[in-house]
Amino acid sequence: MTVLVWMMAAALLLAGVALGAFIWSLRTGQYDDPAGSAARILDDQPPLP
Amino acid sequence: MGIAENACFHCGEPISAGTALYVQRDGQQRAVCCAGCQAVAELIFRSGLGRYYQFRQELGRKAEAGLAHAIAAWEGCDARESLWGAELADGRRELLLQTEGIRCAACAWLIRSHLEKLPGVQSTQVDTATGYTRIIWQPKETRLSRLAAGLMELGYKPHLPLAGAEEQGRQEERRESMKRVGVAGLGMMQVMMYAVGLYAGDAFGIAVAERSFLAWVSLAVTLPVLLYSGRVFFEGAWRSLRARRPGMDVPVALAIALAFLASCYHFFRGDGEVWFDSVVMFIFFLSLGRHMEMMLRHRNLQAGAALARLLPEWAERIRGERRETVPAGDLESGDRVVVRAGESFPADGHICAGATEVDEALLTGESRAVARVAGDLVIAGTINLSQPVEVEVTACGQDTAVSSMGRLLLRAQATRPATHSLPAWLVPAFIVSVLLIAAATWLGWQYVDPSRAFSAMLAVLVVSCPCALSLALPVVHAAASRRLLDEGILLTRGDALHALNEVDTVVFDKTGTLTLGEPVLTGHPSADALAHAAMLARASRHPFSRAIARAAGSGPVASTIIEHPGEGVSGVVDGREARLGSAAYVGAAGQGGSELWFAFAGDAPVAFHFEDALRPEAKETIARLRKMGLSVELLSGDSSERVAIAAAAAGIDAWRAAATPVSKAQRLSELEKAGRKVLMVGDGLNDAAALAGAHASLAPGGAVDVSRLASDCVYSGDSLKSVALIIEVARAARRRMRENFAFAALYNLIAVPVAVVGWATPMVAAAAMSLSSAIVTLNALRLSIMKLEDGAS
Repeated sequence: MTVLVWMMAAALLLAGVALGAFIWSLRTGQYDDPAGSAARILDDQPPLP
Repeated sequence: MGIAENACFHCGEPISAGTALYVQRDGQQRAVCCAGCQAVAELIFRSGLGRYYQFRQELGRKAEAGLAHAIAAWEGCDARESLWGAELADGRRELLLQTEGIRCAACAWLIRSHLEKLPGVQSTQVDTATGYTRIIWQPKETRLSRLAAGLMELGYKPHLPLAGAEEQGRQEERRESMKRVGVAGLGMMQVMMYAVGLYAGDAFGIAVAERSFLAWVSLAVTLPVLLYSGRVFFEGAWRSLRARRPGMDVPVALAIALAFLASCYHFFRGDGEVWFDSVVMFIFFLSLGRHMEMMLRHRNLQAGAALARLLPEWAERIRGERRETVPAGDLESGDRVVVRAGESFPADGHICAGATEVDEALLTGESRAVARVAGDLVIAGTINLSQPVEVEVTACGQDTAVSSMGRLLLRAQATRPATHSLPAWLVPAFIVSVLLIAAATWLGWQYVDPSRAFSAMLAVLVVSCPCALSLALPVVHAAASRRLLDEGILLTRGDALHALNEVDTVVFDKTGTLTLGEPVLTGHPSADALAHAAMLARASRHPFSRAIARAAGSGPVASTIIEHPGEGVSGVVDGREARLGSAAYVGAAGQGGSELWFAFAGDAPVAFHFEDALRPEAKETIARLRKMGLSVELLSGDSSERVAIAAAAAGIDAWRAAATPVSKAQRLSELEKAGRKVLMVGDGLNDAAALAGAHASLAPGGAVDVSRLASDCVYSGDSLKSVALIIEVARAARRRMRENFAFAALYNLIAVPVAVVGWATPMVAAAAMSLSSAIVTLNALRLSIMKLEDGAS
């Protein structure tokens, strides 16, 4: 039973972290331009100063 | 992006002879077509952004002349705070600019890199799909016109941020909806995980304490999902009930609420039979569906924005002696404006000084010059071709003819016959029957063996979890869209596939769709005459002149050129006075039709003939559509003799000429009334209403924005073969859908009774459910490996 409680706690914590990360990425507009983001990886030079 | 020889390095347009403009790059000289493109390319290299040219997938936008003039106009708006965008903390502003010319990810990168270097600009984001540039800036450190200038220097064209607030609201809506999907998705993963424990417990035994602990955690996760993501369904149901028009949300909300409350009841009563997993999964799939639907709706709203863009935003107003550039929205009727050659009219009005030729392709779809003299009516959005004129404004903004065309389009979209895709009504009906069967099972078992009542009811709910059925059609849809995308066809409306395979009639527009859309020189008297005529033709914007110039290639231009609106051009060619124009102007006995005459003063005139040539694959495509059992019709705004020629060449028997936007839409509703399902293929603005009102519609990628947005699918490239191909894929998709649907129905017909009589444990039910989902998915994936008939067969 104790094992189960710990495991659940860990699962919920991880889910909470995932949710936080998702909301952060949403707020910072990372889903606003899927096409542009997908192509950006092709640009292999460092960002401009 | 490959650029043809003798084409501009920046925009890819042909460079006329005598132009000697270059940009230096890596010690190489690259030729450009005009000073504007030169300035843009130099700016890009100077700023260290030359990588743009490697990464771009589309050519750049031809730079427009008169940059300083445009910047000056923006400066006039610097003080208008209403244009600065939404206010953020410490005085910063978030500005959304609809920007013309953004074509691929490289453009987005270029804009970001360039703007973010400006003082006062904090961050920039570009949405390549919608063409919006989002700038967070500090008005204390820079001016609005500086931001606009930053975009214009790169050759993009920002529009006045008038509709920005609406788009801002839509973006907020998109983010909210995505958050709901995310919360439901994460919740679903968690609850499903616990559910596996519970099912395993049912099968292999589990301690009461552990069982109730798992159920507790499930409840704890389900509740926030229900309250956050599920709230919209309850709100929607409540709204529709209050309006006494129960909609889709009612059964949905009922199903969610019943399943949740019953679970809670059982849980607190202590027998632990819960199905929180079904609740969250249901919420997740429904939220996802809503999200997709909203994305499509937002896309359609952009059709309106694109239409507004056909009107110029700026107008040159005459006030006494002064001329000032003002936003076109500021015009009032009675104002006098100057419209230069090559510009479009900012408002409807009468010409009060000057005479010119106007390209009214916007209204008629046929690109040809129409003479307009003082007193004539000109329509906002049409293009002034040859001479500057003064216009007295009679109607502007919402009252213009173009705006009423926009309303026509919106109405057509609203009254489009609803194409019911199966799941829309089937899923709630299915859910309700499942709930009823589950309830009946529970009741029935009360008489037989009350201890097994819950288990049987749970098995019914799990085994019939609408996965196979709700997946049956969406997975096919996804696979078909993906396949079409590989072939260069984009579906823009959710129910397009469904509508496409019901189609039994294809209606084509002529100009630009079945034909190449521009006149091609088909006959000229001699190479000498062509070279001479071309010297005059290069100076004119008339479509026929451009055809001559194209046929002759680059070369010199005549001197002392004068354009005579509605008649032709005169000038000095090789030291002799010469004329190019209509038969009457040149002094010839014309035969009518598509011809232009050329003569040196005193010599006999010679004729040039033109034709709007048929696309090479047109005939073959039409034959193939016939073979597929479709009837084909041609609907054009052009004159009947020309339409007859094109129809005969393409092998179409049924055709109508001289159609207006309204009569095109009418003809379509006639066909619909006769029980035909019509696929409309067209590209002009005059087709937009017909496209929006047709059962299904298709536009080439090169069509005007409005038509592209009004249609169900867009094919890239210019090949008409896409028309046959898309129907072929849609029909294959329909076969897969039928198979999947039959399978899912069969599965439920067998599995539900098995669960009802108590033969299936929840565990077995869960396995069966997963297997059935996998089978429909695999069947759908057959679409991606399907071999398409080649156009030749």
